[in-house]
Amino acid sequence: MKQISFKVNGRQYDLLVNSHEMLSTVLRERIGLTGTKIGCEQGSCGACTVLVNNEAVLSCITPALRCENADIITIEALAKDGELHRLQKKFVEKGAIQCGFCTPGMVMTAISLTPTLDLNNGKESLIHQIKEGISGNLCRCTGYKKVIDAVAEYVLETNTDPDSIIINPSDETKSVGVSRPYIEAEKKVRGAADYANDIVMKNTLHCKFLRSIYPHAKIESIDTTEALKLEGVHYIATGKELPITFGILTVSQDETAMAVDKVRYVGEIVAAVAADTEDIASEACKLIKVNYIPIKEYLSIDDSINDIGDNERIHNQGKFNNNVHKKAELRFGDQQQGLQEADITTKMSFEFLGINHGFTEPHAATAYWDENGLTITTATQVPHYLHRALAKVMEVPLNRVRVIKPYLGGGFGGKSDPFPHEMIVSHIARKTGRPVSVRLTREEVFLTNHGRHPSKMTVEMGITKEGVFKVLDADIAIDGGAYGSFGVVTSYYNGVLLQAPYKLNNFGFRTYRVYTNKPQCGAMRGHGAVNSRFAVESMIDDLANTINIDPCELRLMNFLDSNTQTVGQYRITSNGSREALLKVMEESDWKNRIGKLKEGHGLGVACGFFISGSALPIIWNELPQSVVHLKLDFDGRVLITSGSSDIGQGSDTMLAIIVAEVLGIGMDKIFVLAADTLLTPVDFGSYSSRVTFMAGNAAKDAALKLKQEIVDSIVKLKGINAEELNFTNNRIFTNDKQLDLSWIEAVDILMVKRGAVSVSGKYISPKLGGDFKGAGAGLSPSYTFGACIVEVKVDTETGQVKVIDVWGAHDCGKALNPMAVEGQLEGSWHMGVGQAISEQMKYYKGLLLNNNFLDYKIPTALDTPDIHAHIIETIDPEGPFGAKEAGEGAIHPVIPAIANAVYNAVGVRITKLPISAEDVLTQIKENKGI
Amino acid sequence: MIAEQSYIKAKTIEQAIKEAYLTQGSFRFLAGGTDVIVNKFQGNETSQLLIDLTGIDALKHVVVIESQIEIGSLVKLDDLKKHKSIADNFPALVDAAHAVASPVIRKTATIGGNILCDNRCIYYNQTEWWRKAAGYCFKCNGDICIATGGKNNCLAKFVSDTATVLISMNACIEVVDNDKTSVIPIETIYTGDGIHPNNLDRTSLITAIIIPINKGDKTIFKKLRQRESIDFGSLMTAVTLRNNGSLKIVLGAVDAKPIIIEAKANDKLDEVIAEAVKKPKTINNDIFSRKYRKEMIGVYLKRSFQELGLM
Ligand SMILES: Cc1cc2nc3c(=O)[nH]c(=O)nc-3n(C[C@H](O)[C@H](O)[C@H](O)COP(=O)(O)OP(=O)(O)OC[C@H]3O[C@@H](n4cnc5c(N)ncnc54)[C@H](O)[C@@H]3O)c2cc1C
Ligand code: FES
Ligand code: FES
Repeated sequence: MKQISFKVNGRQYDLLVNSHEMLSTVLRERIGLTGTKIGCEQGSCGACTVLVNNEAVLSCITPALRCENADIITIEALAKDGELHRLQKKFVEKGAIQCGFCTPGMVMTAISLTPTLDLNNGKESLIHQIKEGISGNLCRCTGYKKVIDAVAEYVLETNTDPDSIIINPSDETKSVGVSRPYIEAEKKVRGAADYANDIVMKNTLHCKFLRSIYPHAKIESIDTTEALKLEGVHYIATGKELPITFGILTVSQDETAMAVDKVRYVGEIVAAVAADTEDIASEACKLIKVNYIPIKEYLSIDDSINDIGDNERIHNQGKFNNNVHKKAELRFGDQQQGLQEADITTKMSFEFLGINHGFTEPHAATAYWDENGLTITTATQVPHYLHRALAKVMEVPLNRVRVIKPYLGGGFGGKSDPFPHEMIVSHIARKTGRPVSVRLTREEVFLTNHGRHPSKMTVEMGITKEGVFKVLDADIAIDGGAYGSFGVVTSYYNGVLLQAPYKLNNFGFRTYRVYTNKPQCGAMRGHGAVNSRFAVESMIDDLANTINIDPCELRLMNFLDSNTQTVGQYRITSNGSREALLKVMEESDWKNRIGKLKEGHGLGVACGFFISGSALPIIWNELPQSVVHLKLDFDGRVLITSGSSDIGQGSDTMLAIIVAEVLGIGMDKIFVLAADTLLTPVDFGSYSSRVTFMAGNAAKDAALKLKQEIVDSIVKLKGINAEELNFTNNRIFTNDKQLDLSWIEAVDILMVKRGAVSVSGKYISPKLGGDFKGAGAGLSPSYTFGACIVEVKVDTETGQVKVIDVWGAHDCGKALNPMAVEGQLEGSWHMGVGQAISEQMKYYKGLLLNNNFLDYKIPTALDTPDIHAHIIETIDPEGPFGAKEAGEGAIHPVIPAIANAVYNAVGVRITKLPISAEDVLTQIKENKGI
Repeated sequence: MIAEQSYIKAKTIEQAIKEAYLTQGSFRFLAGGTDVIVNKFQGNETSQLLIDLTGIDALKHVVVIESQIEIGSLVKLDDLKKHKSIADNFPALVDAAHAVASPVIRKTATIGGNILCDNRCIYYNQTEWWRKAAGYCFKCNGDICIATGGKNNCLAKFVSDTATVLISMNACIEVVDNDKTSVIPIETIYTGDGIHPNNLDRTSLITAIIIPINKGDKTIFKKLRQRESIDFGSLMTAVTLRNNGSLKIVLGAVDAKPIIIEAKANDKLDEVIAEAVKKPKTINNDIFSRKYRKEMIGVYLKRSFQELGLM
């Protein structure tokens, strides 16, 4: 320990600091300034950026002792006298903040960048300089576009006369359809929003895990004697203490908190230590001795489908002697017939590597027990399902569990399972009687995975010479890793979600998921259908070429209509396929440019389709999909309580917008309390793009009921016809203004002899779909549609592909908050670029090779193309104000559009993701006959 | 994780060296620390003492002395471009510095540290736990090279972007130890051994980088990587065309040391390229395959020659 003095945000500190402590931990843990985030601890993400003596530094790799006498500025000090810094304001205004986890680091980087920008070379140069300047700060949500806009506007305005800036007064009274920042954006940009690892409780123990170093091995013994002797160690848990299985799906309760008798992947938790500090817990983990007997491991789909002879299966399930987890097959129409009717058929095989969500906030949780049972604050997308899983594993009634989701730094599906670490901290907290907290390292986040399944598929399509799709048949295998997770659903989605957006009378698929000894796969943005969509859209492109039809025209010819049914009995209501495709054709000047680009340049198109909320719950029950409570009290404020989980996609704001719209009041009169299973009614969570549609509808239902209460009380008192009352502009009035009440006057009337009024709204999906087995997969009360056109540049000597432009359009029904929808679209397309070009999970003998943000290549601002987002509104008949999803579906078209653009550029058909420069080059040479 | 026992921030060159000699255990000099600290986090850097050099002002100079420029080893990569003498005379050095890591890192990372940045391999730059699971390799006291399965040597790749350019420009470093100061060509410090990639004494400090100004020389730097920021190189090439028509080609990230090919502008350049492709001992220890990286040597050199007007 050494004494150090420095100033942080103007205040002098004299601290004793360990030699190995980094500035980030000192700021967060000693000084309590948790606005500075830790995303990787290896200098690869920028979340921890602070200013030291006015220079941006990565605090996670800056030794604290280096900062003797330094002047340190963190995000918390940017706002002055309660006023945000102008750059912070720009971030808020422009919608540059989604989950907000990257935001503090991004803002600090930008603050130090802006004085160095050269403004004399035009906008394009400025944008490039900004991209370059923030290119070490990873953002997984925004696609950087709004961040860049915010910084650009800030510098341009800094250099103009401040009085000449006209700030658009935001219209107070309109809610739906108006672009607005998230309600918590300011808190996030100040570094004041608490994420799971920012919440510190008194007397907390810190937990670290010992993880398996074998992919498949029996655990012969675990000896914790030496580890327990280490001073500061309070508890060591092993698998036998927590034998109850759990899993997100009822049919896949196949995971335990820690390995019990055997380990199934490298990285599985074998023991957990709770100690006074993380360092002590880590040291103790090293002292635990585990004797393993390795057994034969299965690392690929091919390994796992075969009969395994006398070896041991990964799980003892299924009747066959192999590691197949789930098989499914559905057939509609007559595929043989379809093949006969087709003039041209084509069959292609594809391969996809695994993809990780790459959210910037690592998992973290704190659990404690008191007279109310268990409380856990954790980074989760699904408080409700975690609630159930915890009750099961802890063996307590449901009413002894409370799950709180604080601000969440991105999910994308990766925080939508109940996790071992959540079980473990809950367990140890019970055993020790103290709060126990854990935060995963980035490596552990990758090991936890639940990302997109590595997949292989062979798809056959048939088409007439006029361009009518006659048949689609897909044979799909997905590599699930060691446990079930969402896998059964993923298996189905790979197939069923191919039945739209095109008319198909003869459609079928066979899909199977295998267990392998690798970190498990699960749900990730665009769940299940991303890879198979890629295959189909690539084949359509190929067929268009064969029959010599423009690929856009071919798609336009085959789109399903609105208000129709698919061959698998999905009810299609609103459908903006056509508008979306026409829009991107127009915006990209497709007709004039296709086929006429410079050498190496290419344009590609693809379309997509996705569910807007799964119509069925994950765990079968008769609860409504979502319940929202509203409480209106004497002060005129409406409290929304909802179990839905804002994971950075803006769902809390969405709820507020809907309620404000129905009641005709300003957003300032609304307060959202969400995702606390004690205080908020059940919502199933943030998965399957369900929240806007389902929680939004529940909120609307509740707001209408509250409105009715107000109407009734006024009618009763004033004897006015209910139909005559208008709710707008914070007033309740009749057209002739005979009655004209302010909101608070109306509230007073409602409260008379009654006090606060609470109402409850709900959403229940209509009965949908067919009666056959598997009919439930992919059923949704509404579907979304979209299209992308992409321009790429391929270097014909290196094979490297650069995505230059993405023009995308997505039918979200109605954009309740257009800025938020754009943010989702831009983020989706950025993520798609990653999967297309650079991201992959690479293994060496079951061991993930690239488990950090240096080697797992999320596109930086410089790698992200210009994105042009277009919102298509089709006003869905059942969506709240016509809205449907925008969070996931948009990712589908962009990836195949990139691949199709590569084909257009250099004649190379991509059948493997990510696109490898090496493969492209090899094929270019083959095409040229070199 | 909790590796070093102590940390000292030296104020002078002499103090830094003295501390190095005084310490009983292992130690390491720390410049920006952007390489060392990450390695420490991963358990690959376990020195008991870190001697931080960032407080030594005598290492932060940039001066033009007659026909050479002397750059203090502690000059930050981001600052190089701000010195007109460097920007004017050695734009390729600025390019190379700019290609290192990410903008914020470059505000901490130093040129001296970059020259001595440790060699890398996908099987080595991993956490302690990971390496245990994979089985320790040569570079972490194991007895095998995982990348090749070989039992002979470690070929973890040399990765310094700036050194690649500096060597092609015939730069030297000034090295100070207890009793001596020497000036040596940079290229002579690299051993080709992935485990001990340089031959400097542990107690030696690089104090400065000295680059000759040869008016009319031209250098082209190129770097292969997957993303346009953050990433280490999978191949770097630097080609300097001298006034006298000689060519010095340096390849990085394809061998445990920088690979140097000397040629003449009027040589058969195709043959020069063929030689360059053949020379490095490249192995599959990177995200791009060995084959591709080798092939790209040819492409990058051809392009460099074209930019130099030679092809
Ligand atoms: C995310 C990330 C990406 C990166 N990408 C790149 C990249 O693309 N290219 C690249 O080259 N590097 C890269 N690096 C590594 C590193 O940032 C750079 O090499 C940097 O220039 C190292 O300089 P430093 O001052 O931080 O060195 P340090 O980490 O302080 O030191 C590096 C080594 O040099 C020694 N040393 C430093 N100065 C002296 C001296 N004056 N005398 C004697 N010994 C000395 C140290 O003891 C140590 O062994 C990356 C690092 C990270 C975290
Ligand atoms: S946490 Fe410091 S760079 Fe990622
Ligand atoms: S807003 Fe940037 S990572 Fe979420």
